[in-house]
Amino acid sequence: MDTPTLLAHLHHHDTALSLPRGACLRWDDADLHRAAHTGDPEGYALLGLAPGVRPWQRARVLLQILAASQAGLDDRARAVQARVARVLTLGLPPAHVITVLLALRRLRANHKHTTRTALRFVLEHPAADALIAARRPALRDCFEHALGAATARGCAGRIAGGDTASDYLQRRLLRFLTDPAAAPARVQALYDAGKAAAATPGGDHTAVGEPVLPVDTARRRPATITATNRGDIAATLVHLYRGGPSEDLYAALGRYVGAAAAAFPRFTGTVALVLDASASMRGYGDREWAALSQAAALRMVLSQVCARLEVIETGGDERAPRGATDLATGVLDALGAGPDLVAVVSDGYENVFPGDLARVVASLPGAGVTTPVVFCHALFTSSDDLTLRRPAPSLPQRGFWHQDDFAELLPWMFGHCEAGAPWLRAALHDRLDALDRQADTLTARIAA
Amino acid sequence: MTQMTALDTLVPGPLSLAGHRLGTPQQAGALTMVPISGPAHRGYVPPRTGLKLTRVAGYGQVELSNRADSGVAIVPLHIGYIQDRAQNHALCRSAFLAPGQTVRFDDACCVQQSQGGLLSERDQWFFVLPLELRARALDLRGVTGYSKLWDDIAALNARHGLPRRGHLEQILSRKRAVLTQFQSRLEPQPAQLGALFFVSGRFAGLEIAPDPRYFAEMWTALVCFAYGVAAWHAEPAPPGPGTAPFDLAPRDGTPYQGTPYQGAGLAGLRAALDRDRSVRLTEIGGWLADAPTGPVELREEERYLDVRLSTVTAPHLAGQIVTDGDRTVYASLFAR
Repeated sequence: MDTPTLLAHLHHHDTALSLPRGACLRWDDADLHRAAHTGDPEGYALLGLAPGVRPWQRARVLLQILAASQAGLDDRARAVQARVARVLTLGLPPAHVITVLLALRRLRANHKHTTRTALRFVLEHPAADALIAARRPALRDCFEHALGAATARGCAGRIAGGDTASDYLQRRLLRFLTDPAAAPARVQALYDAGKAAAATPGGDHTAVGEPVLPVDTARRRPATITATNRGDIAATLVHLYRGGPSEDLYAALGRYVGAAAAAFPRFTGTVALVLDASASMRGYGDREWAALSQAAALRMVLSQVCARLEVIETGGDERAPRGATDLATGVLDALGAGPDLVAVVSDGYENVFPGDLARVVASLPGAGVTTPVVFCHALFTSSDDLTLRRPAPSLPQRGFWHQDDFAELLPWMFGHCEAGAPWLRAALHDRLDALDRQADTLTARIAA
Repeated sequence: MTQMTALDTLVPGPLSLAGHRLGTPQQAGALTMVPISGPAHRGYVPPRTGLKLTRVAGYGQVELSNRADSGVAIVPLHIGYIQDRAQNHALCRSAFLAPGQTVRFDDACCVQQSQGGLLSERDQWFFVLPLELRARALDLRGVTGYSKLWDDIAALNARHGLPRRGHLEQILSRKRAVLTQFQSRLEPQPAQLGALFFVSGRFAGLEIAPDPRYFAEMWTALVCFAYGVAAWHAEPAPPGPGTAPFDLAPRDGTPYQGTPYQGAGLAGLRAALDRDRSVRLTEIGGWLADAPTGPVELREEERYLDVRLSTVTAPHLAGQIVTDGDRTVYASLFAR
């Protein structure tokens, strides 16, 4: 699996899966997903949880892991698939999940793990009652596909007759569930519109459109972005640069950097950071120090996350940014350190000379240099105009303006180098564990 | 780069630039800036912190004050002020202001045809007239008439595809987001006190300030407005949409179209880059050598103790300089 390509695809390709009436499932990137899953089922499933992956791409990952057979997978890989599927059924908008389950029906995918996931979504989703009331025919189709139509209707008939725990129900339905007690009423609701409406007496279906488990933390953008509301590290640095009382600020800075770095696993390779410390990185007016402080914050976090971090400053230095921007020489110097990855951190204004970075980057393969180079764009806000700030458009590039962006930026960076593969897997396992715990809390709260 | 000797032929005679040195050029689109470092002349009040527009006394009448306790202020040539909801004016000439002195310029030109109001002391920022207007403005020094530059401003606006009005704010304010990027696209060097500017490979101007602080305060006005307007007009439209998404698609934009360097390994690439840059530095040196030269006419305009303010005119360039004996303290010369 080419991780950077796949990750970029998951971040950017956001067209919906669709099920036209009487036609085949429209899944425009099915081959890519199948190939990625075949190459590394566990890594593929985990990548679906990477920060910033688009919802419809997460839906595709869910579809792929539910459609594919698990034959040949070891217990660990199967467990990861199951946990990712559980997180995604809770972390996606329910309508996306319903589309996936209906797509599985079109694909005639009918594995045990498919059945288990579908039944748990239909009968145990925290908003199951409201969902059934709102999407009853579709969910009934999902239910009948999961069990087989005859079995599903057989179960429904027995439940309508008062059966709640017979051996028949146990073997065919209840054994797939974690909360069998809630199932009979919901099965009845699937087949009886009146009961479905009675289960949600207020008729409040507002919750059915939203995921119940936030996979990506919702970020609230400040009404006015300043140099100091872009995360604790950068804010503290801005005050230091402005000449604030250094003792308290340095102590706080250490705490903030430590806390931010603790969120990531240790990267055992070497990163060479080309840090643009030219005059423009200092900025001016209300934006003074904004870009440089965030770039420095990234440098500080990386210095704790990476086993070895080589910093190549261009222009001046972090405390005294000055002069011109020579990114091409910076990249050549960085490559000379023999790193696993070169990351250029810059506002994108290259003036010695414009085009040199692009030309050097284009020349690397011919010179036998295969070290990946990525461009981390230091921004003031997410809406910066970058028209004149793309010195090497062919480089993989990603913007960042807030400390919270590091959660997406670091996996994206490390995903570009071979040494980053174990880091990425460890980081995504941590993320899966955290989401799984949240899902436990969620379902426990609903059950209570 | 090399000791600045070529300028001796560009401005023979009156302008001694002994000790001034050229730095490594920088480029942004059509604009090339060659930094100049050299001997600093202390005691001159810089324009942003020391010089204030105190009043627009009437149309075409502007009062400036030197609010510093000591040091003479050299009013930058063709400085203009933008004030919110007030008539914006620019000056046609430089001048000396003694410490604490207020001077009224009756030969200022209004650069905002349709805006009324004669407010004073409001928030203000300054610019330097765009290159395309400077020769005409210098010719009009001493001429009263607030509307004297409107026709030229209107023509400039028309050339830039804007409504034909004597309203410089159409460029300065409406295009401010693009123009002000020049102050980041090009970056002043530590100890820089002057610059050579080229637009599309042709000499556009020479700016020398008394010291680095003065030059730093002039940086935005010069790079964004005096030379940035012409450069912005000259450079091709950038590729891609005006606003890029935060989450940048990889490998988007226009891929590099040039020829990759032929070099084996990092050392080979570095050597190829150095050779290529050397060629470009030679090319930029050639631009300066190719700049039109010839005798200039010098006319003294003002004196303050030992310093002299003079106007330079020639077929190929014009501007004003301040000298102290044989030393050049300030120069603002532009191609015409």
